[in-house]
Amino acid sequence: MASLILSPAEHDYILRGVESGFRADGRGSLDRREVTLRTGMISQANGSARCRIGNLGVGTDVLVGIKAEVNSWTPGDNVPETSGTIVCNVECSPSAAQEFEGRGAEELNIELTQLLDRIFNGPQSGIDFEKLCIIPKQAYWVLHVDALVLDVKGGIIDALVWATRAALMSTKLPRVVVESIPDEDGVMQAEFDVVDDPEDMTELAGAENMPVSVTFSQIGRRFVVDASEQEEAVAQARMTIAVSPNMEICAVQKGGVLRGFSPALLAEIMQTSLKIAREELDKFNKHYAEAKNMTDGRADEPSTGSTFLVPF
Amino acid sequence: MSANIIDRRRINGPQRSVEPIYPKQPTSTSSAGRPDGRAQNAVRPIFVKTGPLSPQASSAACPSGSAYYEQGKIRISCAIYGPRQGRKSNTRMGAFDCDFKYAPFSCSWKRSHMRTSDEKEIALMLEQAISPAFVWRRTRRPASTLLSRDGKAATISAAINCISAALVDAGIELYDSVAACSVALSGSQWIYDCTQEEEDKAECSLMMARMPSADEVTYLLQHGKTSPAQTEQAIQASAGVCTQVYAVICHYLQASLEQ
Repeated sequence: MASLILSPAEHDYILRGVESGFRADGRGSLDRREVTLRTGMISQANGSARCRIGNLGVGTDVLVGIKAEVNSWTPGDNVPETSGTIVCNVECSPSAAQEFEGRGAEELNIELTQLLDRIFNGPQSGIDFEKLCIIPKQAYWVLHVDALVLDVKGGIIDALVWATRAALMSTKLPRVVVESIPDEDGVMQAEFDVVDDPEDMTELAGAENMPVSVTFSQIGRRFVVDASEQEEAVAQARMTIAVSPNMEICAVQKGGVLRGFSPALLAEIMQTSLKIAREELDKFNKHYAEAKNMTDGRADEPSTGSTFLVPF
Repeated sequence: MSANIIDRRRINGPQRSVEPIYPKQPTSTSSAGRPDGRAQNAVRPIFVKTGPLSPQASSAACPSGSAYYEQGKIRISCAIYGPRQGRKSNTRMGAFDCDFKYAPFSCSWKRSHMRTSDEKEIALMLEQAISPAFVWRRTRRPASTLLSRDGKAATISAAINCISAALVDAGIELYDSVAACSVALSGSQWIYDCTQEEEDKAECSLMMARMPSADEVTYLLQHGKTSPAQTEQAIQASAGVCTQVYAVICHYLQASLEQ
């Protein structure tokens, strides 16, 4: 991730602090920073969400927009015949950190894109892809998930997954009418028509089954959840675990090049992730409900105010 | 698919290619065992040869170490160049750079000559899996080319094993060799080291890279949904298999040293 240069004294302070169970900003090792979530601020997108972790203007900021498109099915695609698909793309804005300038963020973009893809594209995400199919073997919905990372202050994966989850939950797809029309040979062909009515939209089926992710950073012999920028500079390895609301593990991925995990630590991390995921989901639902109320209530007012998060 | 990038240096094939449809081979049912007759917990036989790319006429561009790895239908070759001076001068520690490429003829669909993001991600995974093994990390550049593949998770594990063998051949100081293996969940059982068709049918696959002597898990990747108990099971199972794979690689390395 974006690296910060720390003095050896700071390095040592954080390392020993985590091993003794306290962190530089006073959190417990399993505590997450404050999260702000807003949805529905991009009017042209089918779904959108913005998530910021951390407060007082300093934090990791991610904006996700979802566009739905109809694709024609060809035998060479990786998409099964009776379902739609999700295509993820993550881009770290060059203004987020100095090393993201030019092609600096390329590797990070690829890693985050594949990670999001692994969590959300497939049966493990809980989304009902069959409903995204319009006509089997002919046409299906593709949801383009485009995530833009606006600011990086540690804990980027969790922010990404929160924002993507919120965006997908708030996605509205236009209704499609499928008719069977006989063509010139008398064979029944299926044709579809997208209803162009902004009031007549359907939500994504199964969106509430999507997983949340918990990222553990290994510092010394212990680990912390939601590492801040300084902690990430000290962390030697990282493990992201995506857990669904049914307490099933949807994806596991290790990151970081300095160290591996000992099996005992790994087992502990797995156990802790389940416990944390339960709390996460509750928190997420609460934040999402708040965000929805905010956008629904202000339907008549100009929505520029809702893109700005907590005033400071 | 990089359909928009036209490669002007080579003669291009058609933009889209589709695998011919073969008549379906009768596959054995699950009760009889796996399609290729292996036991549920048997790993495909491994063959490793180090030093196939030894210095020849031009000593300018010869790799410090190399290895060729075969496991079932997976064939990988790897070359290590380095240690070399780093590109960026402000890094306190060295770096390990990895380039991974599928040969165009290696997969069911013809792959392009340009490196796709899929391959770049695998290169990142390989870096993350092997870097913990280095003692002092200076810049190094292994280039591993996959000649034929069979099963994505199995291929990545094979690549990790191949690079480990090549690093030992290059004489680079390591804490330990990294051994990797993959398992997939089919029904309620974990099958070890799956081929492509087994992986397609499986709901979930898990890949682990481990340093057995140091007892550290250097890489873990799960794709698909399982219950926590099953993941736990898979982790323990693959830890055992990694140790076996490690023993096989060490055996080959020893044999090559004695020659």
